[in-house]
Amino acid sequence: MDPSLIVYALNLSAIYALMAIGISLLWSSIGMLNMAHGASFAVAGYGALVISGAVFPWLKGLLGGTVLLPYVQVVVLLGAGVGVGALFGVLIYLLAFLPIHDKANFAVRGMIVTLAINLATVQALLWWFGPRQQSLPNVFGFGRLTVLGLPVRYDQAVTITATVLMLGAVLWWLKASRKGLEIRAMMQNAEGAALSGISVRRTALPVMAVTGAMAGAAAVLLSQTVYVSPGAGAMPLIKGMIIALLGGLGSVPGAVAAALLIGALEAATGAIPFLGQRMVLLVQFGFIIAVLIVRPRGLGGLLDETRK
Amino acid sequence: MTEPIAPVFHKVGNRRHEVVLSPDGASEWRRARVPGLRRHWLKWRGGYNPKTLERERRLADKRPLWWVLGLGALVVAVPFLPNSLVQVAAIFCIFAAINVVWTLIIGAAGILSLATMAVVGLAAYGAAAANVYLGVPWPLMFVVGAGIGLVVGGLLALPSTRIDGLYYALLTIGVAEICRVSISQIRALAPQNSSINNVGSFIPQDWYLQRPGLLLGFASAVGLLLAALLLFRLVNSERLGLLLQSAREDEEFSEAIGIDYKRARLHVFLISSAALGFIGAYYAIFYRSISLNVFSLDQLLLMFAMVVIGGLGRAEGAVIGTAIVVVIDRALIDLGPLRIILIAAVMIAVTLTTHRGLADVRAQFRAWRHRIRSERRATRTRKGGEVMPEEATEIADKQAIAYRRFDKRLRDRLKSLITPALIEEHRNAPLGPHSDDLARVLNYFRRGEMPDKYAILQDGPPHAWTYSVMALSGEPGKPPRVVDDKTYATRDEAYHAVFLLRVNDLLES
Repeated sequence: MDPSLIVYALNLSAIYALMAIGISLLWSSIGMLNMAHGASFAVAGYGALVISGAVFPWLKGLLGGTVLLPYVQVVVLLGAGVGVGALFGVLIYLLAFLPIHDKANFAVRGMIVTLAINLATVQALLWWFGPRQQSLPNVFGFGRLTVLGLPVRYDQAVTITATVLMLGAVLWWLKASRKGLEIRAMMQNAEGAALSGISVRRTALPVMAVTGAMAGAAAVLLSQTVYVSPGAGAMPLIKGMIIALLGGLGSVPGAVAAALLIGALEAATGAIPFLGQRMVLLVQFGFIIAVLIVRPRGLGGLLDETRK
Repeated sequence: MTEPIAPVFHKVGNRRHEVVLSPDGASEWRRARVPGLRRHWLKWRGGYNPKTLERERRLADKRPLWWVLGLGALVVAVPFLPNSLVQVAAIFCIFAAINVVWTLIIGAAGILSLATMAVVGLAAYGAAAANVYLGVPWPLMFVVGAGIGLVVGGLLALPSTRIDGLYYALLTIGVAEICRVSISQIRALAPQNSSINNVGSFIPQDWYLQRPGLLLGFASAVGLLLAALLLFRLVNSERLGLLLQSAREDEEFSEAIGIDYKRARLHVFLISSAALGFIGAYYAIFYRSISLNVFSLDQLLLMFAMVVIGGLGRAEGAVIGTAIVVVIDRALIDLGPLRIILIAAVMIAVTLTTHRGLADVRAQFRAWRHRIRSERRATRTRKGGEVMPEEATEIADKQAIAYRRFDKRLRDRLKSLITPALIEEHRNAPLGPHSDDLARVLNYFRRGEMPDKYAILQDGPPHAWTYSVMALSGEPGKPPRVVDDKTYATRDEAYHAVFLLRVNDLLES
């Protein structure tokens, strides 16, 4: 087997994990299936494009020729994606969560509203930026490293590292901070948490912002290899959704394991000659349906009782 | 001698314009039943007018009327429309038929399946391929389509019993995408961009896209919609639908009383899938071709928008939502991408403001109005017991309203008569003679209602009697209750004590 396949699989897994954990976290903490996660992805990609277009010439004038420039560019690009993603998350919060979170039938209505936001956002992007695919400035360079004997492209290395760092930070925030404690309380028992004085609204806002930021990061990282386009969010959304399902909605370790599995499956399917890139989705779906028939709550499946 | 003045009756009330039949009370009431069923065609309810005591009959469920009016208006209007709008109307009918059947899956069976367009598309491809490559004549395409729909539905139903609700919905989103990818892999179709063209049709070749052809297509689409509505009615309101309704309300209970709701769900799913396959074959025949666009995610989302705007689970919702979305999407085509944004905005607005879509708006508005009314009533009816206007519409006996108004006014006047001098007058001479004011007050007290009317209990040995005050229960067989533990030495003192109690009650009311 081609050793670069492992790195390719890890790279895919990293981006899928960012999407899937966002979806999973939202579902388990506030009980909303965020179908606008793909829109967050696309908007963050365009946000990074616009901001980098505005800031990079100025940066070049300021730091032109110094060693710092590429690093600052990476930080600006990632920061732009993360920031725009978080802002879009707040927008979804204002539109889809705040008005109806305490009303009847919230799970389905929330899903419908976020689906509509997704639809509207994709069309708005299409209207504003046109259907043309655009590429983000390549800030990671084109070189290769060799890690443990495996050839790794720079962008793959940055993607994997950044994802691990970001997920680590989010998990640490969930584990160690006061807000994280509140969020975990809501995951375990939303009603109990509300009764012990945890405001659902105040807890949901940072969760939405953080998951939006994760989608934004995924957008910037993926856009180094794939172009930015209005419909770019659909595939990451579908993949993220099915990984979240496979991992068991609400289980972070499950989502990580599922992302690794699906990334590996995608890389392997693409490499097997008679299956090829076009059968990837089919194979993934078959796999997920098979797993779900055996384990209806996914790999993690720890939230059997709390969220139905 | 003066002529008697003929009384003038004014129509009053919330529904004074409602059509009410006044049948002949002496003859028998014959209502036709739907052949083969025990249902009546329309829900007429008979009764008597409370004022005139005349026999009357009104339509309790006016929805059939609205259906006839709406669809009838469409059928009447379309022949006068330009060609492009005739096509929009036909597309509306086809999509409405798909959505009505889909509503059966989502609403009646309670399976949130998003694989509708996948079933329609697969059946359309299968039927078209049978016609073009195997030479099956077009009437048999419907059979082929329904068969494919049944098989695909069976395959889709397999995981639905194991995987629940939202999980299943998310999985089925991907089914259409899988179909799209798989069909695009078929080499034989590659030269024509994976579409099948020149499918046989009931519309003659030289009428295609001409006025008569379009009208014929529209007529057949209306027929399709009516068939879908009939199917909805047959499944949803007959035995299967009732079994499933019990499961929707309480799964465990319905299982405990022996309803196999999983089986019923499966049956509905299979019936609906076969119907979707039928519609798929019609789709291919109507367009004379079928392309991969059927499977696109955008198409699925548009269909979902239609169902959601109308309200999940009701046939009228599916049709209303389809009408709104098709009009925005096809008739306002000049707006470009804006119209999808408009559809999304309508979707968000409807979802945020209504609980179950537009079809349910009336019930939701009524519940809201009822709540507001009862809140207002709670703040107002305590004022002296007079009936407030909004409460008055709900009291059938209008005499009671008049009496309560009179009583309140009388009490208001009597309250102004009660002065320390009056009380002193009664204390001095409980049995009279009374002044005019005191006589009025006492007369009011005398005709009080029997419940809680005061009485005097005479107790103790003869000639050393003591008196105390009791209140009558007003119910035969139920003894009076003691009001307080005071005893009085003379009967006059007891009379006065009762008087004071009544005055107290009057002033407090």
